[in-house]
Amino acid sequence: MSRTNLDILINGERHQILIEPHWTLLHVLRNVVGMMGTKENCLEAECGVCTVLLDGKSVNSCILLAAQAAGRSVTTIEGIGNPEHLHPLQAAFIECGAVQCGYCIPGMILTAKSFLDENPGRRPSREEIREAIAGTLCRCTGYRKIVDAVALAAERMSIEGADS
Amino acid sequence: MSFDLHKPTTISEAVGLATQLAPRARYIAGGTDLIIQINRKKVSPDHLIDLGQLPGLVGITETADGYWLGALTNYRSIELHPAFQGNLSGLIEAARVVGGHQVRNVATVGGNIVNASPAADFVPALLVLDADLEIAGPAGNRTMALREFVLGPGKTTLGPEEIVTSIRFARLPDRSATAFLKEGRRKAMEISVVCVAACLTLDASGSRCLSARLAIGAAAPTSIRPKQAEAYLIHEPPGRASFTEAGRLAAEASAPISDVRALAEYRRHLVAVMVERALTICHRRIAEERR
Repeated sequence: MSRTNLDILINGERHQILIEPHWTLLHVLRNVVGMMGTKENCLEAECGVCTVLLDGKSVNSCILLAAQAAGRSVTTIEGIGNPEHLHPLQAAFIECGAVQCGYCIPGMILTAKSFLDENPGRRPSREEIREAIAGTLCRCTGYRKIVDAVALAAERMSIEGADS
Repeated sequence: MSFDLHKPTTISEAVGLATQLAPRARYIAGGTDLIIQINRKKVSPDHLIDLGQLPGLVGITETADGYWLGALTNYRSIELHPAFQGNLSGLIEAARVVGGHQVRNVATVGGNIVNASPAADFVPALLVLDADLEIAGPAGNRTMALREFVLGPGKTTLGPEEIVTSIRFARLPDRSATAFLKEGRRKAMEISVVCVAACLTLDASGSRCLSARLAIGAAAPTSIRPKQAEAYLIHEPPGRASFTEAGRLAAEASAPISDVRALAEYRRHLVAVMVERALTICHRRIAEERR
């Protein structure tokens, strides 16, 4: 099985990577690019900790072939904010105390970002938020504060009118 | 796992590759089921033919008499499409219970159909619309009714080189509504214990059923249309009594198994209850629309 060249944007930066056809996007992010923010767990699209954005939409990187992301734009948790400039979701998760063990949080934040970006400026109900994050499991079961944080971020993003 | 990946850019190139590489090749669309099956070593193709570069397989279009759905359209797009928010809301209700958002952003409607799981959620929602499939293959294109397409668990009439390219269904007449219900052991991220779709059309007075189509998933080797229940409803006054009787007939038509998710007896009970409820929802929706 021959290696092929993968041309891909990761957090806005172009990467050209030699990949084997069966490598998943998760494998490439963690084991080739060395970005550990995207977590690995069930490898069957059940838990959502491996969630990244593909052209802005949340996907499970554990079952997406890296080759399926060729020529497209991938955003990981490393790409949406930093300690000096937090994304509104990151700031809200900290303020609401929505993080317990932290393992699900990168996936949780990206799942929420994809959902909120579908309707910029809209403030979804708690029920809609719960449905939106159904594919991302928090085994600390800290869902209440996670929903609080997504609602707070949505409120602020709707006021700011721009997603930083 | 280990395979070669091919990325054809036309349907004829894809069909040619599949013909040349058969039987060791599989098409891949979203891959949300196939990659898991490969990881579990349930299937081990030497070649994957990625359909993702083929033009004209994604989108939702209104046609002269109905709708065209590209086979590679993902579930989230269906769920958010404004055209389905009226009397086709059963499609949205079925799309939104497929996995989580991350799966729905990738998983394709064509993949779900071709996969032929008896518990496929979207298939019943399309069956009550009498949807047709358009299929491309070495011998050209063919059209086939969805209800004739699925033969059994994992079995369809699709040849190894053929590709489902689109799904078509007709617009519903006035005074029609659709509904979809799913029961699992939890609210989300679940394989259906039973799922039910209904499509009801009433006459101008609202007191007789002109058409009733029902489909049931996870209660037989394939999704089924309970024909006796459907025939019974025609000319009956819509309401609790007739909907309950339709549910009873639908339960009789089902052939569920007992498995890790539920006993056959419970599934049959669910079919009766859920058919009655789905019809009641359709009835209410038609009444609300008329108001």
